[in-house]
Amino acid sequence: MAFAFKVVNRERQIEECTPLFEEDRYKKQREELLKLLEPLKKATETGLIVNEEKCVGCANCIVVCPVHVAEDPKGAGIGRGPTIENPILRLENGVVKVVNMHLCRRYGKNRILCVACRENCPSDAISFLEG
Amino acid sequence: MFTCPGCSCLCDDIVVGTENGKISIKNACRRGAGIFLNYNTSRTKPKVNGKETDFDKALEKAQELIQESKNLAIYGLDTITLEAQKIAIKLAEKKEAFIDDNSSFCLGDFVEMILRGELPTATFDDVRDYAYVIVYWGVDPYHSLSRHLSRFSYYPRGKKRQRGYEEDRFLVVIDVRKTHTAMLCKKNAKFFEVQDDIELINAFNQVLDGKVPSIFTRDIPRVIKEMEKSDFNVIFGGLGLKYGLKGNYDLFKEFMRKFNTKTNVYFIPAGCHPNMRGFNELMFEKTGNVNKYSFRDGKSSEDFAFYNLLKNDSIDTALIIGTDPLNSLPFEYAKKLAKINTIVVDPRMSFTSKIASVVLPSAISGVEAGGTMVRSDGVKVELKPVFEREINDEFILKRLLEVV
Amino acid sequence: MPLQLAKFLKKMTVDVVVGRSSFQAEAADRGKFSEDFIEKSAVVYMKEDFAKINGFKEGDIVKLTRKGKSINLRVAIADFAPNEGIFIPNSIYASYLSDFDSFKRFKASLEPADGDVTKPEEIIQKMLK
Repeated sequence: MAFAFKVVNRERQIEECTPLFEEDRYKKQREELLKLLEPLKKATETGLIVNEEKCVGCANCIVVCPVHVAEDPKGAGIGRGPTIENPILRLENGVVKVVNMHLCRRYGKNRILCVACRENCPSDAISFLEG
Repeated sequence: MFTCPGCSCLCDDIVVGTENGKISIKNACRRGAGIFLNYNTSRTKPKVNGKETDFDKALEKAQELIQESKNLAIYGLDTITLEAQKIAIKLAEKKEAFIDDNSSFCLGDFVEMILRGELPTATFDDVRDYAYVIVYWGVDPYHSLSRHLSRFSYYPRGKKRQRGYEEDRFLVVIDVRKTHTAMLCKKNAKFFEVQDDIELINAFNQVLDGKVPSIFTRDIPRVIKEMEKSDFNVIFGGLGLKYGLKGNYDLFKEFMRKFNTKTNVYFIPAGCHPNMRGFNELMFEKTGNVNKYSFRDGKSSEDFAFYNLLKNDSIDTALIIGTDPLNSLPFEYAKKLAKINTIVVDPRMSFTSKIASVVLPSAISGVEAGGTMVRSDGVKVELKPVFEREINDEFILKRLLEVV
Repeated sequence: MPLQLAKFLKKMTVDVVVGRSSFQAEAADRGKFSEDFIEKSAVVYMKEDFAKINGFKEGDIVKLTRKGKSINLRVAIADFAPNEGIFIPNSIYASYLSDFDSFKRFKASLEPADGDVTKPEEIIQKMLK
């Protein structure tokens, strides 16, 4: 189980489980596991996934972000487009894009499970891997 | 930075990049970005009686129709700049024509009440800096004014609203269904699902008079209590409110007056046309009325609303600028356009251009033409073009004015 | 499990609410004569429960009729639809059925239909008659 958790947290790769990939008898399980792990590819290291098809570009997530408020008080903090060079999120071509997730409070060893962006997205365009 | 002409937010923080002939847009919502990204799609071509021709021939035909018309109406105008609107108004005046914009069935009545001082109002900057209770009444800004909550109201920090929406704002959404905007009503918020706006206003009035309300017995007193906590609250009113009132504006004015004896409650119209307010203000300054005007009769009247002019067969020529009545007006009115001379001035192919006598391609304001527009809170915003186009609304209207 | 009688009824009267959709506005700016515009405009949104009780499902074609005028639209399930009724976006389709007494909200009859959704050109043709 420890290995499974580490795969979800991206600390280990599923390919490191050599019997799964080298032995034929695990072919079905391998295919199902790879399918299950597909969303991980799209998620950032903070586990954030943006479903662009649902996004109308309201920018609630950008303005509500506590990091943006602290780092960009004259830009995103007051509702304008981010003025810092690499914000966490930004509207690009009409939808929200993750630009720099390293700034996000969910990132790194001392991460907090902040959900401000997801909570203020009316169309559930933002989701996190842990649910 | 550029200004987006997508709606009455007129966001002026748009960053446009052009690399290798490809455009990229930062900070605009889906709709706004689309206007820039798709600026070259579905463009009109000059046409006379449905046949493509060159611009000069189409312009000549339009000039001829204007010159010969006995009863001309100029309509639309809410997606063009103040500078172009002024020329259109001059054209109507010289031709003793009718002039009307989309506000006659949108929020013109509210704008007129504001301009007459009958409803207290404020700017978006004031709302961001001071507003506590924010009410969206009969409007779903998530779809019609996408960045409204994040730019101006619920989400941004402000001078007296430093602590964010969870502590410093209270959101109220009033609508007939749980819209996307209403889904944001979680903590420190209230969604009123309402079928009858007049019943709701009466219930609010009951509480303001110290009585128990007939509906929402807990929620209305709670909202009023929240409003009394602050000296700055705002109601953004949309088409749902306008049609819910069924013309009963006196009731709404009295309700606002009563509310303002307890605390400050301001009203800002939340319509989506980018420069509707601009046209209304120009007309108000000139005539004392915001729309539905006849320069021949020297007055404004319900009879002179564009849809009524069509219904009553009062016009022989319509100059339609930057709007698509076949898309937005009820069929029984719009169909009359096929029976009269219709001149369409539009950058994009519209349904109305399909039945028009003359089609004149124009420039997209804010993308290909610059000028001034007025935001729904009355603040003027400058637009500058990304790719300037010589033939724009001002150019066309000046040429039409020449023959009058 | 309540008997879903409505499945056997041909026609019902519904409350229709008309409003804005950002996706539809984007499609309109991209081109009103495109498949995308039709897809985003010729649609009735209804809540899942409402659809189930009345025998509709995602993708069904339905006919919406008011004052003798009918259009074919496609069903989409959405939680922003009214509890009892349907939502349709602002466009030539809504304008075909509405009038100023009932501009943003009106009653219409809804029934299953065959064929495809109505095209804007078909509505424009009716104007030329």
